[in-house]
Amino acid sequence: MTERLDDRDLERTLSDIGARLDGPKRDMWPAVRTRIAERRAKPWWSRLHLERGAFAPVAATLAIILVAGLLLTPRFADALGHLLSIPGLQIYRVSESPTARPNASPPTFAGQRVTSVAEASRVAGFTVRTPAALGEPSAIYVETAPVRVTIVYASVKGIPLSPQAGVSAIVVEFKGTLETQIMSKAIGPGTTLDAVPLGSGVAYYLAGQPHQFFFRDPAGNIQPETLRLAGNTLLWTDGGVTYRLEAQVGLDEAVRIASSLR
Amino acid sequence: MEGRPAEDAVLVERAQHGDTEAYGELVRRYQALATRTAYVITGLSTEAEDAAQDGFTKAYFALARFRTGAPFRPWLLRIVANEAKNRRKAAGRRPTVDLSVAEDRPSGDTALSPEEAALASERRTFVLGALGKLREEDRLVIAYRYFMQLSEAEMADALGCARGTVKSRLSRALARLREVAGGEVSAGD
Repeated sequence: MTERLDDRDLERTLSDIGARLDGPKRDMWPAVRTRIAERRAKPWWSRLHLERGAFAPVAATLAIILVAGLLLTPRFADALGHLLSIPGLQIYRVSESPTARPNASPPTFAGQRVTSVAEASRVAGFTVRTPAALGEPSAIYVETAPVRVTIVYASVKGIPLSPQAGVSAIVVEFKGTLETQIMSKAIGPGTTLDAVPLGSGVAYYLAGQPHQFFFRDPAGNIQPETLRLAGNTLLWTDGGVTYRLEAQVGLDEAVRIASSLR
Repeated sequence: MEGRPAEDAVLVERAQHGDTEAYGELVRRYQALATRTAYVITGLSTEAEDAAQDGFTKAYFALARFRTGAPFRPWLLRIVANEAKNRRKAAGRRPTVDLSVAEDRPSGDTALSPEEAALASERRTFVLGALGKLREEDRLVIAYRYFMQLSEAEMADALGCARGTVKSRLSRALARLREVAGGEVSAGD
């Protein structure tokens, strides 16, 4: 037996189908956020939509020229004492290889203690910013060689105290940019790395037991930097200043705190 | 009003100024719509989710080109639909897709008798089968109208055609659906 579908039945059936179509089973934003950060973290030439491998001959040629240059002129290598990044080719020098410090001594907050953010900015020579979400800082220290500002938050509601330092959170600010090419190589076992969009840039969230990361100082040298609290850490660069938030908070909360930087 | 969800335009503007969480709100708001749009094209739910996520990502990086004051929803759906079409082309699959719906969901019409509910279920299966045989653009125009309930203006934006042609495109798509379906549906024995 068959029945003819009139216009009304057809439209009703179509609407019924629409109401029964499945949507995504979970919140899509974390996955989209990761894709945005991954795309932002890619070098500009990878966004040109070149066919896969189209850049390979150029990269290979540059690699050969570069290697020949390095072999023939040692001074050339010295001049290139900073990272060169070409697809498929990475050369970098660091003054020390990444090592975990599971038994590191409790951190001390070195430097001159200052009484205000304004004073910290004056001593450091750049505008020091603090995340409003953490409230008023408990203490601010400024080191001058190299310049580094450490803002201490002794106790913040909802953030456990670090067993290493007995404080809830620290924010460290210094001139320099994150060396993302080495980021994933420098993390040890038990540590995870996530890239997330933050403002118009990318932040990197190290969770687990991170101990070290790398940055490029204003002179162009790649420097290792040891974390103080050895806990979850968010790293980002804005306006030539690298910020890091160390606190036992999840990724979303870390991003929220970082977004409140004033 | 306090607690009232922000307008799309407000969220878009905040996202354009670097507030990624505002964009997250837009993703959550339209993830179902975007996924369904991609599903109508790909016929595979896993690929539809992937295409929707890529569509959201591309839309994010295209926000700078988004015209202030334009509706966000159709603009987004156009990007997602293109992403889904590209995937299908890249996979070299046949234009026919297998669409299915959740049959265990309670019907909106509680007045249906068991016999009527069974007939409605058969109609859905039959129409879905016919839809799967339609051309992509026909499926999409029907989906925008009946599955997503877009307005004519939104459909025009999402399809990238003049507003005046939406009605005729929908009418032709429905005619082809009837043609493919043969105008009949089995009502069981």
